[in-house]
Amino acid sequence: MDSRVPRPRLSALDLEAILGVTTALAQPFDLTTMLAEVVNAAKQVLKADRGSVWLYDPAKEELVLEVATGIPAVRVPATAGLAGACAQSRAIINVPDCYADRRFDPRVDRESGYRTRCMLTLPLIDHRGALVGVMQVLNKAGGVFDAGDETLAAALAAQCAVALQRVRMTEALIEGERMRQELEMARDVQMSTLPASMPSVPGYDVFGLSRPAEQTGGDTFDLISTDRGLVVVLGDATGHGIAPALSVTQMQAMLRMAFRLGADLATAFRNVNDQLAATLADDRFITAFIGVLDPREHRLEFHSGGQGPILHLSAATGTCTSYRPTSFPLGAMALAKLRPAVTLALDPGDVVLLISDGVYEYHDPEGNLYGEARVEAVARSHGTRPMSELAARILADVEAFARGAPQQDDVTLVLVGRAPRAAVRRFARRVDALPDLVAFTAGFAADHGVDPTLLTAVDFAIEELFTNMVKYSKPGGPEVEISLARIAEGIEVALTDYDVEPFDVTGAPDADVTLPIEERQPGGLGIHLTRRLVEALRYEYLPQRREARVAFRKTGPAK
Amino acid sequence: MLTIETDEGGTLVMKGRLDAAQAASAQAALDKVSGTVTLQVGGLEYISSAGLGVLLKTQKRLMAGDGKLRLAGVGPHLRDIFVYSGFDQLFEIEPGR
Repeated sequence: MDSRVPRPRLSALDLEAILGVTTALAQPFDLTTMLAEVVNAAKQVLKADRGSVWLYDPAKEELVLEVATGIPAVRVPATAGLAGACAQSRAIINVPDCYADRRFDPRVDRESGYRTRCMLTLPLIDHRGALVGVMQVLNKAGGVFDAGDETLAAALAAQCAVALQRVRMTEALIEGERMRQELEMARDVQMSTLPASMPSVPGYDVFGLSRPAEQTGGDTFDLISTDRGLVVVLGDATGHGIAPALSVTQMQAMLRMAFRLGADLATAFRNVNDQLAATLADDRFITAFIGVLDPREHRLEFHSGGQGPILHLSAATGTCTSYRPTSFPLGAMALAKLRPAVTLALDPGDVVLLISDGVYEYHDPEGNLYGEARVEAVARSHGTRPMSELAARILADVEAFARGAPQQDDVTLVLVGRAPRAAVRRFARRVDALPDLVAFTAGFAADHGVDPTLLTAVDFAIEELFTNMVKYSKPGGPEVEISLARIAEGIEVALTDYDVEPFDVTGAPDADVTLPIEERQPGGLGIHLTRRLVEALRYEYLPQRREARVAFRKTGPAK
Repeated sequence: MLTIETDEGGTLVMKGRLDAAQAASAQAALDKVSGTVTLQVGGLEYISSAGLGVLLKTQKRLMAGDGKLRLAGVGPHLRDIFVYSGFDQLFEIEPGR
């Protein structure tokens, strides 16, 4: 029957039937249940004996019939038979006598033993005009499907199409959400294998961070305190996603075990390399820097399997030396012969920068790479800052360079800084040297990123201790030496007085601040207040050298 | 550096750093005032124990003559010092912002 013939209008009863079905179809069914509901609705409204729904798979250009759970679906090309003809023409096809129609395929009847007399095939088209599938109803009770049935079926088909589309979209959303949650969990596990806090190494400031490009990444870093010193690791497995994340976690566990068992650097490196070569797939490897910092001898000995460049910033000269890897990447193949380790001698203020490719190879929108020179420039300008701040500055510089270009690869930094030598200066033993002292502390704070709001307390304490030294010694005596050193979150100050008698200025008792004004004296408040404004105030006297040293610390909350 | 000036309203305005190097000249300036005097210290970035001595000496002298020193615009650094030293009990203090 030609679908362009004007259709009869639906009766009130017909509409009620459709309405009843529509309400049922609005339920949040899963796809299988929805398909069954649609077929039931069609059978009911059209008084058909049987029905089926083919879902359209646009990727494979096939129509798919779900027969029952556990039985594979039947798939036919989207051009085959009456269903295919309907899918192509998107027109209703009403066949009163199927066996008289060339397009009808009797094989299904033969296999099932059912006799198909008449069949109505309708396209299921959603509100955006996309083909969702094809519905077929068979064997109208007491006759064949007429024009009225075609009209009714068309109205029903529209409702069914929308219901089916909705269910498919919901299932896709749920699947997407489940995958997202699994990746989220994988990320949490991976992040938990990174050091939870930076180890405290006397005389050193060590900081590491890692930012995967996706939920999980192929980068890792580790900081392991051992009796030989601090083991420093930076690793980068080929690829990103879950598989390389698992292999770097494996490498990290192997390294920790090797050092725990007392292996030296070369033994650990060689064995982990060889074990990974045996375990990893042929095309996979991990570039890794493995070093041991001896904080007493101030040496960093390392091997690097393909991880580089390794930058050593010298505080004294302000220059950066770049070191190449000592071996091929870990896990590529077993090591026949390992070259000697490289040893860096660290002077006060020196910084070693271990940075993964994700930084050096970060592209800007034109495809330029961030590169080694830019990292060196940031290190030279900010090498005197705390390592956490230097790391933040490098990342900020990369972001500014990138101008919005996305992060393609995991980014990891490990920075090892030896504490700088203190800034030391001598001052004439006179009260009018005070402005020079103020300039000294202000300049140091500015150069080393010390929070300037700490200076009022620092200057108060220095003034108090310095004026005491001036007051209680012979005029024209040797200069007073003041040293300032940067510490985490603040500053450490020491004043050294030469050629003096022992006198513990910090031992002065607290003033009684509750006395009424008539009994208050101008003096006696200085040390009382100094004790409250700064931390760790202490006095030392060296009798052989006749030297008195007063030191204190001032820290504030990290900004 | 320290400046002590009188504004149009008659308030004494102290700006800069009141440290041991400035104590003597600050004392000399404050020795000239009498009665109840408001000292605006919003611009005083820093005070050391020598500076506290100057304020205390001035307060004692003014109170003996039925006057007093009121401190206005006291910022956080000065406030901590005044609290630790008990000076908040000896002076009328108006906090700054």
